[in-house]
Amino acid sequence: MRRSAARRSLAVLVTGVLAVSVAACGGGAQPGGPDGGSSGGGGEATAWALTGGSESVFRSSFERWNGANPDAQISSEWFANDAYKEKIRTAVGSGNAPTLIFSWAGGTLADYVANDSVVDLSEDAAPLLDRILPSVASNGSVVDPSGGEGWYAVPNNQSQPVLLYFNQELFDQAGVSVPTTYDELLDAVEKLSAQGVTPIALAGQSKWPELMYIQYLTDRIGGPEVFQRIVNGEPDAWSDPAVLEALTKIQELVDAGAFGDSFGSVAADAGADTALVHTGKAAMVLQGSWVYPDFLNNAPEFVESGKLGFANFPAVEGGQGDPANIVGNPANFWSVSASASPEAQKTAVDYLVEETYSDEAVDEFLSVGAVPPLIGLEDKIAEADDDSGYLSFVYNTVKVAPHFQLSWDQALPADQAQALLDNLSQVFLKQISPEQFVDAMNATLG
Amino acid sequence: MMLRTTTRPNVLAGIGGWLWLAIIIVPIYYILVTSLRPRSDYYAENPLAFPANPTLDAYREVLENDFLRYFGNSVVVTLTSVAAILAVSLMAAFVVVRSNTARTRGIFQAFLLGIAIPIQATIIPVYYLIIQLGLYDTLAALILPSIAFAIPLSVLILTNFLRDVPKELFESMTVDGAGEMRTLWNLVLPLSKPAVVTVGVYNALQVWNGFLFPLVLTQSAETRVIPLSLWSYQGEFTMNIPAVLAAVVLSVLPILAAYIIGRRHLVSGLTAGFGK
Amino acid sequence: MSTTSLTSRPGASVRPAAGRPARRARRRGPSTWLAAPALAFFALFALVPLLGVVVLSFMSWDGLGTPQWAGTENWSAVVADPVARNAFVLSVKVTVFSWLIQAPLSLLLGVFMAGRQRYRAVLSVLFFLPLLFSAAAVGIAFKSLLDPNFGVGSALGVDWLAKDWLGDPSLALGVVLFVIAWCFVPFHSLLYQAGVRQIPVSMYEAARLDGAGTVQQFFHITLPQLKYTIITSSTLMIVGSLTYFDLIFVLTGGGPGNATRILPLDMYLRGFRSYDMGTASVVAVFLVVLGLAISLGLNRLSGANRMDSQMEGA
Repeated sequence: MRRSAARRSLAVLVTGVLAVSVAACGGGAQPGGPDGGSSGGGGEATAWALTGGSESVFRSSFERWNGANPDAQISSEWFANDAYKEKIRTAVGSGNAPTLIFSWAGGTLADYVANDSVVDLSEDAAPLLDRILPSVASNGSVVDPSGGEGWYAVPNNQSQPVLLYFNQELFDQAGVSVPTTYDELLDAVEKLSAQGVTPIALAGQSKWPELMYIQYLTDRIGGPEVFQRIVNGEPDAWSDPAVLEALTKIQELVDAGAFGDSFGSVAADAGADTALVHTGKAAMVLQGSWVYPDFLNNAPEFVESGKLGFANFPAVEGGQGDPANIVGNPANFWSVSASASPEAQKTAVDYLVEETYSDEAVDEFLSVGAVPPLIGLEDKIAEADDDSGYLSFVYNTVKVAPHFQLSWDQALPADQAQALLDNLSQVFLKQISPEQFVDAMNATLG
Repeated sequence: MMLRTTTRPNVLAGIGGWLWLAIIIVPIYYILVTSLRPRSDYYAENPLAFPANPTLDAYREVLENDFLRYFGNSVVVTLTSVAAILAVSLMAAFVVVRSNTARTRGIFQAFLLGIAIPIQATIIPVYYLIIQLGLYDTLAALILPSIAFAIPLSVLILTNFLRDVPKELFESMTVDGAGEMRTLWNLVLPLSKPAVVTVGVYNALQVWNGFLFPLVLTQSAETRVIPLSLWSYQGEFTMNIPAVLAAVVLSVLPILAAYIIGRRHLVSGLTAGFGK
Repeated sequence: MSTTSLTSRPGASVRPAAGRPARRARRRGPSTWLAAPALAFFALFALVPLLGVVVLSFMSWDGLGTPQWAGTENWSAVVADPVARNAFVLSVKVTVFSWLIQAPLSLLLGVFMAGRQRYRAVLSVLFFLPLLFSAAAVGIAFKSLLDPNFGVGSALGVDWLAKDWLGDPSLALGVVLFVIAWCFVPFHSLLYQAGVRQIPVSMYEAARLDGAGTVQQFFHITLPQLKYTIITSSTLMIVGSLTYFDLIFVLTGGGPGNATRILPLDMYLRGFRSYDMGTASVVAVFLVVLGLAISLGLNRLSGANRMDSQMEGA
């Protein structure tokens, strides 16, 4: 008798605790899984996207879509870059994926396709794909488990080539012109050091900005094929002489004081590397084009007075690679989750075909300093451009590039990417030699 | 050196004490003055100088960036967790103290084992479990594991305290025909108030400052709590260090208020279970 | 969200056995039911994950798909991995050096704070301040404070202060140890202060009559009397240093290179950056074993196995 009373009160208590904790998260939208959130109408879809960059463009495109399609609403969740990368994979793996999955293509997309987590968009997205620069669009094409090839991801925002940004004022003071070859770069480093400024700002704490050097140098020295062999997982692919030479040149730059002596505590997430350039503490920074809005926001006078210069990465004398090649993120991509209901999938596909590069969206991209990778956009860009000609420069650089190499950490599977970042940062810190790097990385290809 | 009577002042100890004070105060002073510095002056002014044009802009910026929502999340998570921890631990401690059977001893030993487990080590299975339960990215995902990991130490402290309650008191309650729940409510709770406050404060601090669970088990702004918000502000406010440090100051204020109001409780909460 | 499973499940196992009821406890002891919620929480979110981590260490799971059986693959991979070995060595270093830095400092500060002088009381209140900061807050504050370009070092114009504290592999670990000390010394000084205050004043009186100076009093009275405080505080320091995660995560993220990648960080980075949950679980199992071994070892060492004696008492 008494025991059952205790049991009842216990049940009440536990229910109460759980009720409170569940009530507390009312409003915290459950990321829509197959049964998550308020799956009312059949055509409702969910999307996860990134904050910063062209966030405002995505937000207004979702608003436009939801205004026009009351029975096929898309609810969106927003994440910071690093957090997103850590979350999306598990969401996809646990069947809690959003209908629209934001990605960088590359190794992660290949994993999704291998796990049948995303759907083939070849037919539905064909009209959209026809409008996009082929070097960018091709990243969305993946060989599926059955051996066929399909389009599993479609570009959804601007091209993000990695460019050399510089402080024109510091260049003038040191009597340096824009370096077009590696030797000129070394020369500029020497002259700028003598002036007492850090020649190149490098966010070494974040590790990923260091990738841009090995990517460009390897490409300039040996061409894109070198990394292709690595992605294909060929044994000892890292032993290519081009990789060794690129690493040797990296350490040569470090020894020459190119990155100053405190790059290890500069973080890219906090924009410290670009801040060094606009505050006149460093002369150059090699970064993705997504930092341009940061310059605009944090140092408007600096940009407007024409002190911010930009150029493609220098050539390496005697190298095999075309100096017009670029590295970076060709764009970001939408994929559609295979675990979503057919109705939600239809909503997602309709949205990405109609809204991704609609006229309104293109105008908005250009207004925030972002360049969509579309064919025949020259006139529109010329209209939107400011005095510096930045937008046209980015567009043309992407358009004429024979090869646009996806960032290595995105192209490789996650475990290899992390090993790459860790080992590369040790090369920059002179803790390991190029040969040790090559051995460690070859070991990950197993 | 311990005497009220006049002794030679210990010069060496004095120097050491003031030196340590400098080590403690300089960073805190730096946080405060930087949070009052206008963003544009951050690059130009000496970091330790008092700002020439002090401003509260950084605080406004943080408050406009959802800080109150994160604060609210932290409050909900902390209060819910602490209430549940106290309820279940007090009941468990009552059982351990009052029914000395092999089973209850076994239960108690199991809890003791929990004290020595580093929480971090179980984060991957906890993460998997939370996803399977469909609780990922909810406040419940933070509350449930927080309760579980706080139970061992809480039960230990409450048990130690309840042992000192004279048996006769319990027996007289039983003679009066009071049920277990009434005994708990009318006798155990009032008697163990100091221990309950200590355990409550200790766990509130633990949950309030917890970083790993929110980092791994939540993702969206809707479920962000304060420690994690500091981390994300760092990414959001690109080089706006004054705003980041203003967020740090705001995150400390509630605990500072608690310290000023109930210094003794806070100290005893901090050192819960490690006295004697 | 079914709550019934939570409440009705343990019943099967917790209901008093139908055997010979304990003669005294039959009437007076509360039913074991009252401990059920605590047990349920603890079992589901602490014990089950503890077993889970052992199981996962024999599986491969990349965060996509479902975990697959992998045998001892992860174990041999971790044992052969220089990164994991480095993490282990670093953890040992952090533990040893943390103790060497914090224990004497906390002890001296505790003695200092226990003094009766007015100024010491005021200082004690200020010494307490770091305890109010969360580890995340401390990490973020020190990160900007130590920034070689915009931080304090650059301001004072003192060259040796403008070093690249967090970016130089040879300095970063030392800085991390310093920040950890900044964070935790106040707590341990509190413990020592309480310990010193419990030493009877008469002992010092007697010693002074025998002509013992301050230093002799410290070594002959204070130190021996603080034996248990030293053991308690050291246990907390050593087990705590195994779990410094948030502070280092925010401060350096394990970098530069792998210079501050201690075991908990190694586990996190493997699991949530490389998506290699299998080897991450191996590191986790290792952490659990280490934590338990150290706790039990120190418990033995202190001779007074208090936890057991508490069970016998009452």
